[in-house]
Amino acid sequence: MKQVVIPGELLSEERKKLGTNVYVFDGKIYSRVLGITDNEKEMAEVVALQGMYIPKREDTVVGIVNRVVFAGYGIDINSFADSFIPKKIMRNELKLGDIIIAKVENVNELKEADLSFPRKMGGGEVIEIIPVRSPRLIGKNGSMLDVLTNGTSCEIFIGKNGRVWARDGNITLLKKAVQFIEENSYKDNLTNAVEELLKEKK
Amino acid sequence: MKNEKKVDYKKDKKRLDGRKMDELRPIKIDVGVIPNADGSAYLEWGQNKVYAAVYGPREALPKHSADPLKAVVKVEYRMTSFSVPQRKRPGPNRRDQEISKVLGEALAKTIFVEQFPNTEIGVYVEVVDSNAGSRVACLTAASCALADAGIPMRDMVSATGIGKAFNELVVDLNKDEEDAPDAVDIPIGILPNSEEIVLLQLDGLLTIKEWEQVSKMGVKSCKNVYEIQKQALKKKFELGDAGKKIVELKEDKTVKKKVKK
Repeated sequence: MKQVVIPGELLSEERKKLGTNVYVFDGKIYSRVLGITDNEKEMAEVVALQGMYIPKREDTVVGIVNRVVFAGYGIDINSFADSFIPKKIMRNELKLGDIIIAKVENVNELKEADLSFPRKMGGGEVIEIIPVRSPRLIGKNGSMLDVLTNGTSCEIFIGKNGRVWARDGNITLLKKAVQFIEENSYKDNLTNAVEELLKEKK
Repeated sequence: MKNEKKVDYKKDKKRLDGRKMDELRPIKIDVGVIPNADGSAYLEWGQNKVYAAVYGPREALPKHSADPLKAVVKVEYRMTSFSVPQRKRPGPNRRDQEISKVLGEALAKTIFVEQFPNTEIGVYVEVVDSNAGSRVACLTAASCALADAGIPMRDMVSATGIGKAFNELVVDLNKDEEDAPDAVDIPIGILPNSEEIVLLQLDGLLTIKEWEQVSKMGVKSCKNVYEIQKQALKKKFELGDAGKKIVELKEDKTVKKKVKK
């Protein structure tokens, strides 16, 4: 059964496979964050409900240029450390406030991300949500993303760092839908609900 | 107090405000009250009213305060000038600095600080109204705010005041009891799972026997505080069907239309 747990709450006294956001103390498994767990699953894991973005390898992120120097650009990726892209690997020049999409190539011991394959996005808007809830915007096999693109006819890109980039189409409607998903991210049957919401507002 | 008859809890079997010896004042916690903070909490503990806000982990400033091995927990305890009967000068004083340091050390014990090297976690606690035991209230509120910010922690921190007043061991002293001639005030904060003590200060004298007895009372009432924290954090998230929300929204619209007509 799914349930909400708080930091330090006992998940299991037996041995289990360890998933995300758990720790072992004295042979028992405890939660580390405020989140949701399913105690019928084989693996002891907690899906966080709150929290900031911590860069991981292979993540795709939406960044904003916040510093321009001779050698390259400082990029704000919504983490606690800024990233840096050298001018060498950029095809076109960037200005302050430009939006880019990039992949996290490597993360060092200070949790600073090296970005690769940066791509400048022309125009569009950025919607911010709580980063740990962004997987719900994509859904299983991209089901939610399909619903959003079909419902609003926007060009959408979702970054793992809690930023959604969108262009064309009905952006006001998209904002409403994204906000709905953010507020109800921990509930069941979300894709159908969003589908209904988009149908209603169209 | 001089004109009143002598109070003796051993004879009266009841406290000045009618509580039992091991009874806490009523506690109310709301989580997520400050929208601009990463995590926040509002706590009412008897007459104490406390706001706590958490920012971060973020870049540690000034740079020399950063630790390349772990995150630094920076707590700022502040009392508003109207929180005490006689106006308090608003600047930070010795007492504020001491409490900030003590609370920071208590919280750093439970946070996984080694996960966020070179960063700081800013915790700001503001006392709006106070009546003895404000540091304990602040610690309880701050740990709720940290959980609300999604910062990984080993456990919550639950705290109470314990001590001695009017010739009897009591839990959660109020101002009248703290001013008693034989008063001993001990703020205690624990991690409820392991019963590890993270905050302990003592002002006064106790025999070893009395300490053993009163510390047991303290741990017990800290666990009561923990249950309240747990409820407050879980209250925000009700699991269920997201479709219900849409139905509610639709119903709301029809109500509004009827009113307009």
